[in-house]
Amino acid sequence: MTVQIQPQEEAVGFDFSNYARNQFLGQHMNGLPKATSTGTTIVGLKFGGGDSGEEEGVCLGADTRATAGDIVADKNCEKIHYLTPMIRCCGAGTAADTEFVTNLISSNLELHALSQGRPVRVVTAMTMLKQYLFRYQGHVGAHLVLGGVDSTGSHLFTIHAHGSTDKLPYVTMGSGSLAAMAVFESAYKPYLKREEAVALVARAIRAGIFNDLGSGSNVDVSIITKAGCETLRNYEMPNERGVKSRNYKFRRGTTAWVKENIRSLIVKEDVKITSGAGKEQPGIEPHPVPVGAGPGGEEGMDVDS
Amino acid sequence: MSSIGTGYDLDVSTYSPDGRLFQIEYANKAVEAAGVAIGLRCSDGVVLAVERMLHSRLLVKGANRRIQSLDDHIGMASAGLLADAKNLGNRGRDEVHNYRDSYDSPITVQILSDRMSGYVQAHTCYGSSRPFGISTLLAGVDNTGPRLFCIEPSGVYYGYHGAAVGKGKALAKTELEKVLAKEGGVTCREGVMEVARIIHLVHDDNKDKEFELEMTWVCAESGGKHKAVPEDLLKEAEAAARAALEEGMEED
Amino acid sequence: MTNINSVDIKHLKNGEVNLGTSIMAVKFEGGVVIGADSRTTTGAYIANRVTDKLTHIHDRVYCCRSGSAADTQAVADIVHQHCQIYSSLYGTPPPVATVTSMFEKLCYTNKDQLSAGIIVAGWDAEAGGSVYNIPLGGGMFQQPWAIGGSGSTYVYGYCDATYQDGWNEEETVQFVKNTLALAMSRDGSSGGCIRMCVITKDKVQRHFIPGNELPRFWEGKEVVGAVAGVTA
Repeated sequence: MTVQIQPQEEAVGFDFSNYARNQFLGQHMNGLPKATSTGTTIVGLKFGGGDSGEEEGVCLGADTRATAGDIVADKNCEKIHYLTPMIRCCGAGTAADTEFVTNLISSNLELHALSQGRPVRVVTAMTMLKQYLFRYQGHVGAHLVLGGVDSTGSHLFTIHAHGSTDKLPYVTMGSGSLAAMAVFESAYKPYLKREEAVALVARAIRAGIFNDLGSGSNVDVSIITKAGCETLRNYEMPNERGVKSRNYKFRRGTTAWVKENIRSLIVKEDVKITSGAGKEQPGIEPHPVPVGAGPGGEEGMDVDS
Repeated sequence: MSSIGTGYDLDVSTYSPDGRLFQIEYANKAVEAAGVAIGLRCSDGVVLAVERMLHSRLLVKGANRRIQSLDDHIGMASAGLLADAKNLGNRGRDEVHNYRDSYDSPITVQILSDRMSGYVQAHTCYGSSRPFGISTLLAGVDNTGPRLFCIEPSGVYYGYHGAAVGKGKALAKTELEKVLAKEGGVTCREGVMEVARIIHLVHDDNKDKEFELEMTWVCAESGGKHKAVPEDLLKEAEAAARAALEEGMEED
Repeated sequence: MTNINSVDIKHLKNGEVNLGTSIMAVKFEGGVVIGADSRTTTGAYIANRVTDKLTHIHDRVYCCRSGSAADTQAVADIVHQHCQIYSSLYGTPPPVATVTSMFEKLCYTNKDQLSAGIIVAGWDAEAGGSVYNIPLGGGMFQQPWAIGGSGSTYVYGYCDATYQDGWNEEETVQFVKNTLALAMSRDGSSGGCIRMCVITKDKVQRHFIPGNELPRFWEGKEVVGAVAGVTA
């Protein structure tokens, strides 16, 4: 029998060859292990302009809880990601995917800005993100809220994992999006002032934190205007652990003891320079390699007694 | 070594010190030696005609045509090396097909000329190839109206009301200018008569071999398609052409 | 044992954003009227209640999108780019038939991976107003009027019974508005407001009908308290 060796094409994209095996294992275990997902509340809001008398801009908000199944994996993670000096992006969905996709696009946007010799526009970031996510057909689980200011004004988008985008004046995403949207739908007005916008965003995130199991901990806020981007990390901390009135520490001497024995466990080691394979080398003083008594030789190792 | 080119004509990718490409000029010589081809843009369509030299009495009458169809509505006539013309015609049909495939609509004569001229020009760039030894007339009726273009061996192309390439083109052009100077332009039927007359005029019975007149058109009468001019009309045109020539000779 | 070949593509695309939709395009003398509802859904949640499903492709060519939002946006973006290349290459805007064939090529060759139902409509110098329908399999059909999306199934009868040749712009706009209102009232995944575009030689005119100003038809009689003991 002859064996034909076929030239292999370079593998590109996801590899599904273990899919069947994983399904099989999943059936014989308690389901497949789950990726860390930022069960999340993220929101964005346009403000200013019109009769507010203030510069227009966008305000982004996020909670800080990361979950793995029903376990809180991180109580104070960052979900507002940097893309460019004037563009930020909130991520919900698979934590690793939101982190990597924003990092990658941020890097590409920087190169793009350098090659074009001007700051990138928000639509450019949006197009790069949607085309990347569409290419991976939803397997890159990043659900994003994109906001920023560029030469054409302020812009706010949502981008779903499959690559669809929406352009709206106020948006929410993640598992807490329903709670947050309820706040926006009841209180949003066009041309909010900056202070009002930040307060409304924080209120929407709080709605997610308190009413959605997947969201929790603190409120992060970013405000982007023509003047620049201001990030307020842990703008609100509505879940700080209070001081307990009592604790479980035992007073010294609570436990009785009968004897005391102190040993030194410190190992001291002298390292001596030897020339490679016993050869003489200029500038290095030769030391004979000790013979006998096993590895390390007789000398060179001291153990405190 | 040939004294005229002095070494600058050994391949297409070498300029002479005064900025000429001798190989392209030689290709133009090949065109000038060939039987004339004429195109006329009329008010209601286009007419193409060639003077097909019969280099042997053994040739089948009416065969070995020099006018090709590239699309339903576009014809191509050329003067020069027939083999080159066949090759360029094949490329033209590829472009036609490619365009229809991409855009679901027929190509215009202008876009086809542009694409084919790119192919012709590419043959003037590389040492491994030889320029096309033909000048090509592309004629057709598209959604922009009747159109006529001429592609030269260098790859340059121009749009024309009337064009003539090949042996005796200078005389043919003067005649075409007279025809086109007519108030209100000419119709295809008139154009057929005029072009037939010009071809017979340009042909030198004493010096040149015998020839056949090959003529096609695209107009309402041909259903907007590139077709041979009907035989009876062609006969009528040739008869009128001969009569006009005789008349002209008597006047001399 | 599970085999890779039996993987359900629908399962892999779980959570995709859908345009459960009512879309429409109708030809009239001198142009076309296109229209759509404004609802975008993810499952039972309305992800966008003011969506613009009437997507600009070129100066006088638009498309109405139905199916997966991601797929139709991607396809429309690609065709938009092709059209920009076409117009700069040939110096004329692409005819509607040409734009449609670009859509058809993408939809047909990638039919296994796409869920996109697209209506292409616009005006060009050769054909005037024209409407083309490209349903799920990637076929291409020229029609005087076309409807699409999940809401369209409820209004085929209405369209067949109502449409007539020779309408002017105003009558056509009214027909589109009424048809969409009827579709949106019966289809749960359509709703919100109506967006319309009138595309003619001279301009593209947008119309917006807010959700509280939709045409209303027979909606039943007031029944509260009609049967004692049944109503709360």
